[in-house]
Amino acid sequence: MNTLSETIETGPDANLIVPQENEGAFREQQFEDTVGDVTHPNPRISCREVDVYYDHGAVHAIKNVTLDIGTGEVLAMIGPSGCGKSTILRCLNRMNDSIDGCQVSGSIRLDELDIYDKNLDVVLLRAQIGMVFQKPNPFPKSIYDNVAYGPKIHGLAKDKTDLDEIVQTSLERAALWEEVKDRLGQPGTGLSGGQQQRLCIARAIAVSPEVILMDEPCSALDPIATAKVEELIDELRQQYTIAIVTHSMQQAARVSQRTAYFHLGHLVEVNTTDKVFTNPQHHLTEAYITGRFG
Amino acid sequence: MTSPANSTVDIVRAGLPKRYARERRFRLMGMLAIGLGLVFVAILFLDIFSKGYTAFQQTYVRIQVHYDGSVIDPAGTENPDTLAFADYMALLKQSLREVFPEVTDRRAKRDLYQLVSPGAGQVLRDRVLANPEIVGTTEEVWVLANDDIDMLVKGHIDRDLPESNRRLDDRSLAWFDRLVDQDAIEKRFNITFFSSGDSRQPEQAGIAGALMGSFYTLLLTLLFSFPLAVGSAIFLEEFAPKNKWTDLIEININNLAAVPSIIFGLLGLAVFINFFGVPRSTPLVGALVLTLMTLPTIIIASRSALKSVPPSIREAAMGIGASPLQTQFHHVLPLAMPGMLTGTIIGMAQALGETAPLLMIGMIAFIVDVPQGFTDPATVLPVQIFLWADSPERAFVERTSAAIMVLLAFLITMNLTAVLLRKRFERRW
Amino acid sequence: METIGTSHTVHRFDYELNEIAKLVDKMGALAVEQLRRAVKSLKKEDPTRAHKVINRDRKLNDLDVEADEKIIQLIAKRAPMASDLRQIITLGKVVTDLERTGDEARKIAKLCVRIYESDHHIPSEHILRDIYSMSKYVNQMLKLAMDAFSNLNVQQAFGVLLMDEELEEQFDATLRHLSTFVMQDSRNVGHFVDIVLGIRALERFGGHAKNIAGHVIFLATAHDVRHLDADEIQSLLNIEDSP
Repeated sequence: MNTLSETIETGPDANLIVPQENEGAFREQQFEDTVGDVTHPNPRISCREVDVYYDHGAVHAIKNVTLDIGTGEVLAMIGPSGCGKSTILRCLNRMNDSIDGCQVSGSIRLDELDIYDKNLDVVLLRAQIGMVFQKPNPFPKSIYDNVAYGPKIHGLAKDKTDLDEIVQTSLERAALWEEVKDRLGQPGTGLSGGQQQRLCIARAIAVSPEVILMDEPCSALDPIATAKVEELIDELRQQYTIAIVTHSMQQAARVSQRTAYFHLGHLVEVNTTDKVFTNPQHHLTEAYITGRFG
Repeated sequence: MTSPANSTVDIVRAGLPKRYARERRFRLMGMLAIGLGLVFVAILFLDIFSKGYTAFQQTYVRIQVHYDGSVIDPAGTENPDTLAFADYMALLKQSLREVFPEVTDRRAKRDLYQLVSPGAGQVLRDRVLANPEIVGTTEEVWVLANDDIDMLVKGHIDRDLPESNRRLDDRSLAWFDRLVDQDAIEKRFNITFFSSGDSRQPEQAGIAGALMGSFYTLLLTLLFSFPLAVGSAIFLEEFAPKNKWTDLIEININNLAAVPSIIFGLLGLAVFINFFGVPRSTPLVGALVLTLMTLPTIIIASRSALKSVPPSIREAAMGIGASPLQTQFHHVLPLAMPGMLTGTIIGMAQALGETAPLLMIGMIAFIVDVPQGFTDPATVLPVQIFLWADSPERAFVERTSAAIMVLLAFLITMNLTAVLLRKRFERRW
Repeated sequence: METIGTSHTVHRFDYELNEIAKLVDKMGALAVEQLRRAVKSLKKEDPTRAHKVINRDRKLNDLDVEADEKIIQLIAKRAPMASDLRQIITLGKVVTDLERTGDEARKIAKLCVRIYESDHHIPSEHILRDIYSMSKYVNQMLKLAMDAFSNLNVQQAFGVLLMDEELEEQFDATLRHLSTFVMQDSRNVGHFVDIVLGIRALERFGGHAKNIAGHVIFLATAHDVRHLDADEIQSLLNIEDSP
């Protein structure tokens, strides 16, 4: 009860959990365990004690993260810049492989599949875990070719009609079909920013992945385009498991069911989004989402 | 407003004229610099053009030729070999003697024969070989005039100079004037310049040999250097691990681009000719040397073209599950291609203008025949220019300039192509 | 590296929150004062004072409107989250409760007017004594609740909740007391209803103070304790407190 008697001047919340004595010792132990429930009853991806190093071990980017991403849920990852949220996202489909000197330890599983198994084929993995990037990055090809590229290289379509169908359903699912059906031959780069991003989502779902990773998918979009993508994310949740990294707390609050807060490579708190945004359990989460990072 | 704000405005306003003046001065200096550059380019072009444009015309002399069977084919065999090796010059000499019957002196006769080119008999031979029927008949033929006559026609020999200081003596001038009176002197378009190889006789010298030599050499250079350079660029940029070794390679490539080209010539001489026994003076060995020289240029250009492809495209392809090779060939390479081509064309233009390394591998040899393949002895345009510029005859001056014009035309065309390619395929992200 | 400050990165946010908090403090002080003066007018049998109290209630209403406006603007502009969100919502609720306490204080003032400006029999001192003691009690409750609010003191707030249970018993006792008075002396019947309504107003006054205390607990602990009894709250908070 002591801490709660702190007066309003020092902020009613900044000290909710901070012990008053010995700040230094506290800094060490404040990260030790993740607050909240890292597990999910029906996990699709489960990370266990994951550590990520860059520069051949010189930089410890992710520190002992254990986290489940449940089937059919949208998990939002938030945190200040450099907290490692993008790093862990990119570990999930091994996009970090291409970075020199990046080492990953611990276990990351997609269902029963060990993602960091030495014998695992990365191409196969990425057919199961799609990714959407920060900046809309359609290929400088036609809209049709953009969506058809994935199925083509993986040989998912038997013939042209099959491919046409995949392209159409993917574009429909990405809520873009009505807008582009008359100009499939035009370059994808000619679309507006929001349409481009939905095209990228269509391209990702054209290979029918189980999981879609989104790395700040709306940070380059205007609010209306953002709203459309958010609506789409909500619809996609029916079929896919989605992990989204975002800088917008409002967006995390709007689209996700669970929210994970990262800080300096630690997973500080995981809780239902409802809880995180009304009553976060860790003072760092609290400070971050109320805008008290200086 | 209060006074401090006013004073800020006042101070700023007081400084404004100075700032604007400085800006105007800077602009003026820039314009001056560009103007100066343009003036020099204009002078260069004007000089070359004014010296060289006359080379595109050549003086011809009309001569009544009797195809005397006793001279051409004394045995009457009509054997093409006999026809080919007959002394056609004798026919010309005879015709000239008929035009100027008063010339009897031996030395005077030799001077008389100098009115036409020593190679003029070639024309007669070609006509006879094309149609052996004409042996025994007489016809009018326009043959190449000697270079001195050509120079006289083009006004490069001053009649007012004392005879001893002139290339042509008074007697030759008189003969020339008589020919002019007979309308037997005419300037025509200089086909020889574009159709024949080098010659000791300026009027017979052409750039065809050098052009073909350049063509074969560049073609081989392109074939060797483009795939090699693009391949190494892709490997270094996209696949090679970034470590001390690749750093070393990168530094060396950059250094190679700055190595004086003559070193490459020496290397070519030592390695390709002396060690591997590649025939010297050929487009093949020239291309090998030029490949070494252009590789760094194209590699550097290709790497920067690859670097300019946004990483988001690679991520997009990788994210869908394209293999690294598919990512490169389906997405990155098509986007980097215009930049690579631009670099290649610039490298090729550089190779086209290169002289020094080729001197070392014998491509400076005097070669009359137009090369027919990659292993024929050949020379290239810039070397040809170098050779001609070195020749004492006055008539070679205009040929040198003309050859420079041709070379410049090719260089400008290539650079223009590079610019157009870049414009055409440029993409915005 | 970022530092975790006690204030918002956007200082204007703090300023705006502070402004609203100040308004609420002002309203709290005013509400306490209103009840005190209303009861004083009753004691002094002075309807003029009572009119003043009734008029002054308008000021409280104005403050209520102003605070609500600021709260809406802050929500629209700053999109508050977590503790900020709880704080701003709590401020809104406290404002509403304070406005209501002002209304209850006005009812007491009206009671004074009704008794002393009418031709009815003036009720005996005994009958009104209950009102005096009860008003003192509820005013103390509000004071403590507002204190707990500005200090974010859960213990104190919990104390107010306990006081409310006491108040309910006192209310029942007072009603019984009043009935005996009426039965003993029928002259008291004239103001019986008015006085019952006055007591009722004081009971509501205490109720609002209790609500405010509940809001304080919600703000500090994120537990909504409005519809729990004291034991449940105690155990809930104890669980929360144990390390």
